[in-house]
Amino acid sequence: MATETIIWLIPLPPLLAFFLIVLITNRVKWLSHSIAVGAALLSFIGSMVVFFRAIGVEHLGEHPFEASVRWLATGDTSLHIGILVDPLAAIGLFFVAWTVLMIFIYSVGYHNFGQPKGDHDRPGLPPHGATQIDAQGHKHAVLSVEPMYSRFFAFIGLFAFGMYTLVISDNLLTLFVGWEIMGLCSYLLIGFWFQKPAARAAAIKAFITTRVGDVFMLLGVAYLYSQTGTLSFRTIFTEGTLKHLAEQPSVLPWFSIAGLIGLLLFIGTIGKSAQWPLHVWLPDAMEGPTPVSAMIHAATMVSAGVFMVIRIFPLLSVGAEHGMTSAMFAMGFIGSFTALFAATIAVAQRDVKRVLAYSTISQLGYMIAALGVGAYVAAAFHLVTHAFFKALLFLGSGSVIHGMEHGVLHTGDHAMDPQDMFNMGGLRRKMPVTFWTFLAGGLALSGFPLITAGFWSKDEILADAFAHGYWLVFLVLALAALLTAFYTARQITLTFLGEPRTEEARHAQETPWTMTLPLVVLAIFAIGFGWVGIPEDFLGLHLPANWFHEFVGGTLANPPEAIQFNFLPLLTSFVVSLGGLGLGYWVYKGVKAGSADPLEKPLGRLYVWIKNKWYHDEVYQRLFVDPAYWLSEQFAYLFLDRTVIDGFLHLFARLGPWIGSSLRQYIDLPVINGLIGDGSAKVTQTLGRNLKVVQTGKVQQYMLFALIFALITLVYFLFTIKP
Amino acid sequence: MIPLSWYLIFSAGLFCIGLFGVLSRRNAVAILMGIELMLNAVNVNLIAFWRYLDPEGISGQAFAIMVFAVAAAEVAVGLALVISIYRRRNTVVADDIDLMKW
Amino acid sequence: MVSNLLTLILFTPTLAALVLFFLPGNEKKLLRWAAFLGSLIPLGLSIALWFQFKVSQPGFQFEERYIWYEALNSSYHLGVDGLSLTMVLLTTLLTPLAVLASFSITDRVKPYMILFLLLETGMLGVFMALDLLLFFVFWEIGLIPMYFLINQWGSEKGEREITKTWKVPARTYASFKFLIYTMAGSLGLLLAIQMIGVASGTYDLTELFKLWPKIAELKNIPLGLPLETVKAIAFWAFVVAFALKVPVWPFHTWLPDAHTEAPTAGSMILAGVLLKLGAYGFLRLVLPLYPAEAQRYAGGLAFLATMAIICGAFAAYGQMDFKRLVAYSSVNHMGFVVLGIAAAAYAAGTQDAVIALNGAVLQMFNHGLSAAGMFFLVGVVYERAHTRDLADYGGLFPLIPVYGGILIFTSLASLGLPGLNGFISEFLVVRGSWPILTLPTALSMIGLLFTGAYILKAIKHVLHGPTNPTWIGHISEINSREIFVMVPLMVLILWIGVWPGWILNVINAAMNTMMKTMF
Repeated sequence: MATETIIWLIPLPPLLAFFLIVLITNRVKWLSHSIAVGAALLSFIGSMVVFFRAIGVEHLGEHPFEASVRWLATGDTSLHIGILVDPLAAIGLFFVAWTVLMIFIYSVGYHNFGQPKGDHDRPGLPPHGATQIDAQGHKHAVLSVEPMYSRFFAFIGLFAFGMYTLVISDNLLTLFVGWEIMGLCSYLLIGFWFQKPAARAAAIKAFITTRVGDVFMLLGVAYLYSQTGTLSFRTIFTEGTLKHLAEQPSVLPWFSIAGLIGLLLFIGTIGKSAQWPLHVWLPDAMEGPTPVSAMIHAATMVSAGVFMVIRIFPLLSVGAEHGMTSAMFAMGFIGSFTALFAATIAVAQRDVKRVLAYSTISQLGYMIAALGVGAYVAAAFHLVTHAFFKALLFLGSGSVIHGMEHGVLHTGDHAMDPQDMFNMGGLRRKMPVTFWTFLAGGLALSGFPLITAGFWSKDEILADAFAHGYWLVFLVLALAALLTAFYTARQITLTFLGEPRTEEARHAQETPWTMTLPLVVLAIFAIGFGWVGIPEDFLGLHLPANWFHEFVGGTLANPPEAIQFNFLPLLTSFVVSLGGLGLGYWVYKGVKAGSADPLEKPLGRLYVWIKNKWYHDEVYQRLFVDPAYWLSEQFAYLFLDRTVIDGFLHLFARLGPWIGSSLRQYIDLPVINGLIGDGSAKVTQTLGRNLKVVQTGKVQQYMLFALIFALITLVYFLFTIKP
Repeated sequence: MIPLSWYLIFSAGLFCIGLFGVLSRRNAVAILMGIELMLNAVNVNLIAFWRYLDPEGISGQAFAIMVFAVAAAEVAVGLALVISIYRRRNTVVADDIDLMKW
Repeated sequence: MVSNLLTLILFTPTLAALVLFFLPGNEKKLLRWAAFLGSLIPLGLSIALWFQFKVSQPGFQFEERYIWYEALNSSYHLGVDGLSLTMVLLTTLLTPLAVLASFSITDRVKPYMILFLLLETGMLGVFMALDLLLFFVFWEIGLIPMYFLINQWGSEKGEREITKTWKVPARTYASFKFLIYTMAGSLGLLLAIQMIGVASGTYDLTELFKLWPKIAELKNIPLGLPLETVKAIAFWAFVVAFALKVPVWPFHTWLPDAHTEAPTAGSMILAGVLLKLGAYGFLRLVLPLYPAEAQRYAGGLAFLATMAIICGAFAAYGQMDFKRLVAYSSVNHMGFVVLGIAAAAYAAGTQDAVIALNGAVLQMFNHGLSAAGMFFLVGVVYERAHTRDLADYGGLFPLIPVYGGILIFTSLASLGLPGLNGFISEFLVVRGSWPILTLPTALSMIGLLFTGAYILKAIKHVLHGPTNPTWIGHISEINSREIFVMVPLMVLILWIGVWPGWILNVINAAMNTMMKTMF
């Protein structure tokens, strides 16, 4: 089959799965998950076929797989949409296919397929356990199956469709379509357990916060379209077009068109990839089931934001040659700031997923900062490695939570929070597979030297920042890396090492193969993937060519140069990684049950600040949410519409009857009725009454009058008739 | 012959006497008598004009005969009315017969 | 190839109404089905019309012209181009669905159905008329049945106050406001039409399109006014009449009241079609007849459009009445239509203007579908819960999951989710307006943001959250008749969102021609 045909078909199986499950197989759990996993498998196979064909093509960047069709009629022309698989998209397909498939398989186990229905389970709430009676008549509380099992698979199917669409798009419009569909799915999935007010609120928060970014992005897309007459990447990223965009000033005179469009599109990424200041939705998104967190926060949605900016990098970087354009400056600033900012918050979080959430925000900051300093390949590299190890970590945390819930069912204490790391401990013995894979992921996240993928990608970013002379970015990112290693060690130590701190932790159990297999697969990538991107001149040696750099770098028309190896960034990477890991382990290794966080006392005020996320939610509530509600209800509706406009209209409403009654009172009644109607009657009456006295009935009087009038007439005629 | 004007003055005088009678007599029959006088005065006038101005023509005579007839008819009717009223009201005073008033 | 297809489409509803007139008034089932089947005939005919329409041929097709008032030079002239064809399809599609939705009306079914069918004739006539007097007649015909529908079959509860002491039932208030307000605009319309007719000697649109914009000398100038004054008066009269109908902010306040108090099917047609009459008037009459004046005032119109988008979204977000929230969403969505029209007026003849118009007309169609769907869904839950207050609902999703799914789908179409129809039209409007009216377009994004907010607010209160115990066991799932009403809408919403070519090509051809012939 032609490669282009396969590419067109890749996003379709999950979409089909969505419709089939929603419309038909909703009630039958095994059929629903089979359709979903089968669909993910089909897309996976398609993606792998395309990927392997793609890496076999010489200079894929110059002749990628592409095809397009007419979609929207626009006057004399039309907008085309289509598919494009260049090196970037090929890599994208690779990591999306693997992570999505693993997450689908994991979800079967996570939602406790095969377990009985819960005692009090209701659709809209997380399952709470079922009571099983065994052969001896003993009651056991066991995990129960998710009531809305099939719906979950439908939604993640739609999600996968969105991501695949985004990756293979050859134009900004269908990229945006995939983007928004994923936004929808994140809403549906974060709010999966919709009966929980927290989940409901988190879903809305996610949607609205990303929407802020999306509306700016939409403007950017419209602007780009109106300037170039197309939205296809290949057509826009040609030298002539880019030059034109870079040289003309935009509607805001301080920016070139390319600069303004770049900024507008980047704001979309700020929202979608949860960069400061639009990061607030991501930690709350932990309300969703864990596979959702893995999907949204590792493999797909947040990656989409970074993927998009990588895609439009030619637009963002045009005009500055080897310096920074305004868009790149913004990215450098926001990216590095976010990386450090989020890392500080992660240090003080107790919830195992929340640490990972802030970690994601921080790592995405890394990628954005990388692009900001022009490290195109490094950003793409980190995107892929991060997808693998972060998905691994999230799925691992889900496994941990499942294990803890086993313990909760055993003790029956539902008030305990199974996600609080301070309630865990010693889980390495109870859940070995989870432990080792989580360790692999954690080490990758921390950039443990040489053997983890995270090391290679992070180091490349640091090296790039250093080599191009961006000291501040380098320092900030290094500091963030230190904190990253620190909180990762903190997390692993609290969760797995030491002794169990609670009864629940003591009774934790390893999770089924549907959950541990994906962990193992992802761990392999978390360790091995980095080796495809080892720089040629690493440590001054002459190693084989950096395949990743060559391949992905070929996406750009002017492939970026590999940077010269330098010992300083390498040393920094070593120090921050090992140092942070060591420090984290050392501080937390002795934490006992019921004790507070060892950092609380030493950091004092600072600890309160970072624990409370630097009070962003509270500030936003005061600054945006409450005023928005006031504007809506009080101002727009009650004041403007009801009081002002309707008040004005009601004046007319009152004017009508007022005019009517005035007319009646002042004209109709007195003049027409009174004067003319009754008046004439009165006049006639008076006249009659006064004149009637002439009628005396006396004949002689009548005759007298007749005589008098005859005489008068006679006199009149005598004097007027001319002879 | 005596001048025409004497006849005319005579008839005018007679007419005025009749008119005076009509206007001032109480008795309804007397009023009718007055009307008769007026009619006869008119007749005298007519005959005088006929005799003096156009003796050959017959229009004057014819007119006078008409007036006789009308006078006779009118008196007959008038007296019948008066008698009818008298039977009802037991009075022939004109002023008392004033039902046809406002 | 029936030669009088348009007349057939136009008067079949009236015939159906006539048939209904002779049916016994207490046979509710018979009346309902007769009305439904009667309203399906124009739908079938308009689908046939769609297939026979030649997209590549510019100008009006299926024209019919018969002498009407010879002394005035007014004829019975019908015809469709891409714009009116789209609107005819929308009308004939929504009416059977609205009739089907009205099956739950039990009180005085016969007059209700008759009024509905007469309303359909009125609406179709506006879209098909190519003669100004005919246009006006049908325009007015569309008003009266709606007044009665709201007044007699509208919501029973509620009161509005005019002054502190003067209170009227809500549906009386709403119907009256709707009728008087729009009729006030129509008066100006009548005046303007008469002026045009008298001054140029013809009422026929196809002739006026060529004649009126370039007119230098009038035949019988009323009151001896100069040409410019006549044109200006007529222009403003047109604009006011159509602005009231669309409705353009700040003339929009009749809409929330009328939509909220109308019966479900009434709201469906009101939002689905009647609002489009105003926009259609702008496109068919104001832009082609007054290109210069329209250009001069396009900035003002764009300002009003932006206010509608923003204030409509804000007001919707501040609502706790479900139906009123959806009503304000109509103000918000029609704002995009007006923005597109303003952009086209400002830069007529450019390709950007065509794109903006494509977006505007497609938005008219799309909004018809999604608004009708949303109002219907509000009606579904209202019939069961007898309340529209969002605070009274709560966590209904587990109790009525099918309804919930359909509600989410339709709400997302209303929100403009890519993949569904709303996105295509909004994107085209934004794309078209950005180069022409940059600031209003940028500001309208605020409205787009809050659109998301209010849609999610509605879903949050109705479906999500802890289930309100009042409704457990007291609320029934959406039934098959109701699903049947929604399915065509949902299919079209998805289809247009994924592959809009079939309708966009028709609209594009018409708008392209319109822009080219305007200058």
